[in-house]
Amino acid sequence: MCPQPIIQFRRVSKVYHKGGADIHPLDEITLTIQEGDFVALMGPSGSGKTTLLNLLGGLDTPTSGEVIVCGQDLAALSSHERARWRCDHVAYVFQAYNLLPVLTAYQNVELPLTLMPLSRRQRREHALKALEIVGLSDRVHHRPDELSGGQEQRVAIARALASDPDLLLADEPTGDLDAHSAQEIMSLLIALNRDYGKTIIVVTHDPKVAHAAHRELHLEKGVLSRDVDMKNQRM
Amino acid sequence: MRLLLLNLLRKPLRTLLTVFGVGVALFLFCFLEIVLAAFNAGVNMADASRLVVQHKESIIFELPMAYRSLIEQAEGVTGVTTASWFGGLSQEPLADGEKREEFFAQFATDIERYLSLYPEIKVPPDQLRNLLSDRMGCLLGVKIAERLNKKVGDRLVLRSTIWTQKNGSTIWEFNVRALYTTDSPTFDQTMMLIHDKRFDEARQFGQGSVGLYILGITDPERSAEISAAIDARFANSPYETRTMTEKAFNLQFVGMIGNFQFLLRSIGSAVVLTMLLVSANTMMMSARERTREMGILKAIGFTDGHVFLLLIGEALAISLLGALAGVGLAWLLANALHYNPKPDFFPIFYLPGQSMLAAVGLAALTGLLSGIVPATAGMRLSATESLRSV
Ligand SMILES: Nc1ncnc2c1ncn2[C@@H]1O[C@H](COP(=O)(O)OP(=O)(O)O)[C@@H](O)[C@H]1O
Ligand SMILES: [Mg+2]
Repeated sequence: MCPQPIIQFRRVSKVYHKGGADIHPLDEITLTIQEGDFVALMGPSGSGKTTLLNLLGGLDTPTSGEVIVCGQDLAALSSHERARWRCDHVAYVFQAYNLLPVLTAYQNVELPLTLMPLSRRQRREHALKALEIVGLSDRVHHRPDELSGGQEQRVAIARALASDPDLLLADEPTGDLDAHSAQEIMSLLIALNRDYGKTIIVVTHDPKVAHAAHRELHLEKGVLSRDVDMKNQRM
Repeated sequence: MRLLLLNLLRKPLRTLLTVFGVGVALFLFCFLEIVLAAFNAGVNMADASRLVVQHKESIIFELPMAYRSLIEQAEGVTGVTTASWFGGLSQEPLADGEKREEFFAQFATDIERYLSLYPEIKVPPDQLRNLLSDRMGCLLGVKIAERLNKKVGDRLVLRSTIWTQKNGSTIWEFNVRALYTTDSPTFDQTMMLIHDKRFDEARQFGQGSVGLYILGITDPERSAEISAAIDARFANSPYETRTMTEKAFNLQFVGMIGNFQFLLRSIGSAVVLTMLLVSANTMMMSARERTREMGILKAIGFTDGHVFLLLIGEALAISLLGALAGVGLAWLLANALHYNPKPDFFPIFYLPGQSMLAAVGLAALTGLLSGIVPATAGMRLSATESLRSV
């Protein structure tokens, strides 16, 4: 459990300097997300979605403003401390190529667990359980090149689950999938949120995905243009 | 750890070729070291507590035999023996069945005194007794005995390129009475010693003279002082002397091939360096291809340090495996199987321990250098950047 709210952005800006010109992927974003929320992050390409997600996961630091996740001001941590913190609190699922090609599905899922104080048996239990949840118990010893795109994404989700994170960040996890596989992945994310209470933030272009979420955030040119709370609407 | 291993196995052919590349480079390096060690063998087998007295002008001039007792009286000298170059070639079929005149080193000397100056030389006591009681006897190093296919009790015929017997013949006969071995890896085991008394009486000219004196001294620190005293003793005589350490004496011969050594070392180093660079480049490429994987690892919670260790560990593992193969092969060949491509040219052919260490060090350095660039890059690389490069 984290101190509430799980995520707090205070006037967060990110600036890149490229060839003399300044790019502002994020401009003074202020935002609060509660634990157990399922948030869809939407917006045109280049609007700063990935940048926002990377700040949340401590993969990147803001140019100005405060990013507080699980009560921790990420800017106050060194890169080494952020890596440790990430390992304890956050899990990522990317659009594609999430897995290390040399490892089997099982080994990929187990990998983040090797950073934790767990026995070999505990690691094994967690990893197998996570693969079971995503429905891949029969693909445990396959390597990524022997899996379909949808299966790869499910392994990535299993890996995210295995470490029991407070926060699951997914950057267009269905972007490379056919409609059917995309549907499966979304159902899985919904179930994780509903049954296991995981806080999930998913970047997506798919309105159907967004519709399944509790809340829709729209980014445009680095600014939050729309914030729709669907739970309240539905009620 | 397992990830490191699996990464090595990802492209087994490339890993194998890189290991092979490092291995060949280090094998060449070791081989070069063996050859250079062989050239320097004479220098390395020299002992600081031995001095050599030669004619002041040149080694080809002789000294009077009467000098021995005079040198023996000099302060700080423990023992003196003579040594005259016999310059003989073997006349009988060799162990390999070939009939050619084999060249090796033979000295006419006072064998008993010689052995007391060279404790490195080990002779079985019963053989030694027979050797000392047979004027026609000779002592052979086990290696040359093997090459000449001779055992104790055999007859050995040599043709001297320098010395004629009183009967006008250049053919000399000896009885193989003893074989010597040694515990020192740098000591020549292809020498032959014959009795100077018989040699001196039988030769047609040069009687009463010797090529060199070898002497032992009490204190190696005082070698310069003792040498100067001996040379001063014979100054202004018809036969002036030049006394030097055994090492300096042997270096005279190495100096003649010094330029060749330099050439060999330069070419060899260039080849080795090139191969190591090629291997290093391959290792760097293989790391660069995996930028995205580094990003994933960091996203999962691996620290920059983990990534650094992973990449450097991989490069180190490859180069050390290469070292194991290359140095191991060279060691096996030279030190275990005692392979020697030209035994008459290289009396000693072995890989010195410090060269092995140097080779392993070189491999470690290659691994570190080729690992450090991608490892530092991988460590510094922000995860966001590496994940972008899909
Ligand atoms: N490392 C970087 N250096 C320079 N510009 C960057 C960098 N990362 C992102 N940007 C720029 O920031 C903007 C937002 O990028 P991003 O967050 O990836 O958008 P989205 O995920 O919404 O497509 C883009 O204009 C992109 O070119
Ligand atoms: Mg993006």
